[in-house]
Amino acid sequence: MKIRDKLFLAFGFYIFLAVVLGFLAYKELQAIATRLVLVETANDISNNFLEVRRHEKNFLLFRDKDSLQELKKNLEKFKNNINAIGLEIVKEMGDDDYRMIKEAIIGYEYLTDRINESGSIDNMRSMARVIQSFAENLSKKEMEKISALLTNSRLLFLYAIFIILIVGGIINMKLAVGIARPLRLLEKRTREIAAGSFTEHVEVKGKDELTSLEVAFNEMEDRLRDAMQSLELAVKRLHQKQAQLVETEKLATMGKFAAGVAHEINNPLAIINEKAGLMKDILDMSEDSNYKEKFLGIIHSMLDNVNRCRTITHRILGFSRRMDITSSSFSLNETINEVLEFLERDIEYKNIHMGLQLAPDIPEIRSDKGQIQQVFLNIVKNAIDAVEAGGAIDISTTVKAEQAVVVSIKDNGPGIPEDVIKQIFEPFFTTKAKGKGTGLGLSITYGITRNLGGNIFVKSEVGKGTTFIVEMPVNSNTLAGE
Amino acid sequence: MGTKVLIVDDEVEFATTLCERLGLRGYETRAICVAQDALPAVKSDPPDVILLDLKMPGKNGIEILMTVKNFAPEIEVILLTGHMSLDNKLEGIKLDAFDCILKPVDIKELTGKIDKAAEKSKLNRE
Repeated sequence: MKIRDKLFLAFGFYIFLAVVLGFLAYKELQAIATRLVLVETANDISNNFLEVRRHEKNFLLFRDKDSLQELKKNLEKFKNNINAIGLEIVKEMGDDDYRMIKEAIIGYEYLTDRINESGSIDNMRSMARVIQSFAENLSKKEMEKISALLTNSRLLFLYAIFIILIVGGIINMKLAVGIARPLRLLEKRTREIAAGSFTEHVEVKGKDELTSLEVAFNEMEDRLRDAMQSLELAVKRLHQKQAQLVETEKLATMGKFAAGVAHEINNPLAIINEKAGLMKDILDMSEDSNYKEKFLGIIHSMLDNVNRCRTITHRILGFSRRMDITSSSFSLNETINEVLEFLERDIEYKNIHMGLQLAPDIPEIRSDKGQIQQVFLNIVKNAIDAVEAGGAIDISTTVKAEQAVVVSIKDNGPGIPEDVIKQIFEPFFTTKAKGKGTGLGLSITYGITRNLGGNIFVKSEVGKGTTFIVEMPVNSNTLAGE
Repeated sequence: MGTKVLIVDDEVEFATTLCERLGLRGYETRAICVAQDALPAVKSDPPDVILLDLKMPGKNGIEILMTVKNFAPEIEVILLTGHMSLDNKLEGIKLDAFDCILKPVDIKELTGKIDKAAEKSKLNRE
């Protein structure tokens, strides 16, 4: 039931109660008023007869006509009054008494007419006593009656007050509890939600306005929770993007710095290369001497080390030995096969099991083939270096939402510890022995992939292996830019 | 008669040493270390192949490449530089440079490329 209906019903009940009580009180007062008229008449009757007796006494004392006349006049009044409330007397005193008193009055009247006859006076007086006691009785009865009526009314009002208190109290309590309790619960949940707790819904009970409020409140809570969740997710993504951006920015800056240094070093390196080369040329042409072999050895070592430096600077500059710098369409499956062909000897030498799962229907990508080759060459070479002899490398290609081709290169090598993973794309970071790695392979790989609009991720677990995932867009907008 | 090679590089030590080494290998080599002198040298005695540095004070290597190719398209130019970006490389290829090599370079690789360029230059002339 609706709260409005409940309130209507409660107020309706109170109005009904007031009307009933008012009606009863009115009826009661009306009965009392009627009764009061009767009491008055009964009193008159009693007084009339007392007058009759007073005149009777005077007549018997003085035997005067006036007294007899007064007696008769008052008797007449008495008779009229008795007749006037005859019905009431029948009701109060009974039919027999009424008839008896009528006869007594007739008798008394008869005797007053023959008052001078002997023997009649005694009869008359005894009859008068009967009538008088009757009149007094009547008056007394009427008084009792009205007193009973008053007591009744008093009780009636007492009961009414009692009933109103009990019933009204119960109704008020029900209304108060039915409205206040759900409101208090809603207030509590509101505070909880404000504090960020979206644990449970408000219990939905009944079918009133508060129920609709509870349903609406729960709906609001759901929407709020969804909004909060998507907000949190958005903030988290934003943080991730920001971190990624900072990382990319850092790598780009380091890459630029390294490239600048490489450029500056190349020229003096070229001079050393030529000078040492010239020495070798001259020695080659000269006659054998004690020192020729030793000098040739020294020069050879110098040229070797120049070559080492050259490898570093050339890798920093991402210089591709190939000349195909324009973009072309090609399949990454093809590229993977080419890279594996190129590394065939290393793979055979270490007896590595190669698992290939190349999706046959991947779309061709448009990119710089030479640079992409370098990316996979670096990653697969690293994988070969990482695994033990007889290890396994799995390479797979898949299509991601028709938009990108994903290449995953998984090895079962020793894996990369978490603190190292953060640094593997940084220039000059290497875990290989001194002289074995430049620490540039992966940073160049990263730089190329990002430059070509792709992405590269690493997943690794120590003792289980490492997976490199390269995502290349099918249509790259940022092609081969430096 | 040996292949005529002109080295244009502002690094004097590099240019002269390379000049000597190529001379030892039978090439007829000259070295120019000032960019502005490059064109007069080409005009006075046209070489078969030019080894051209890209970044020099005074004149950009790309400009020299353009003028040389305008003057004598049959001369082949190998860009040999310590500073090479992809943009330079692209531009060089567009302007018909024979090859782009990043310093330092192995002498055998270099002579191999010079020989090929000279062959092409000879074909150009015929």
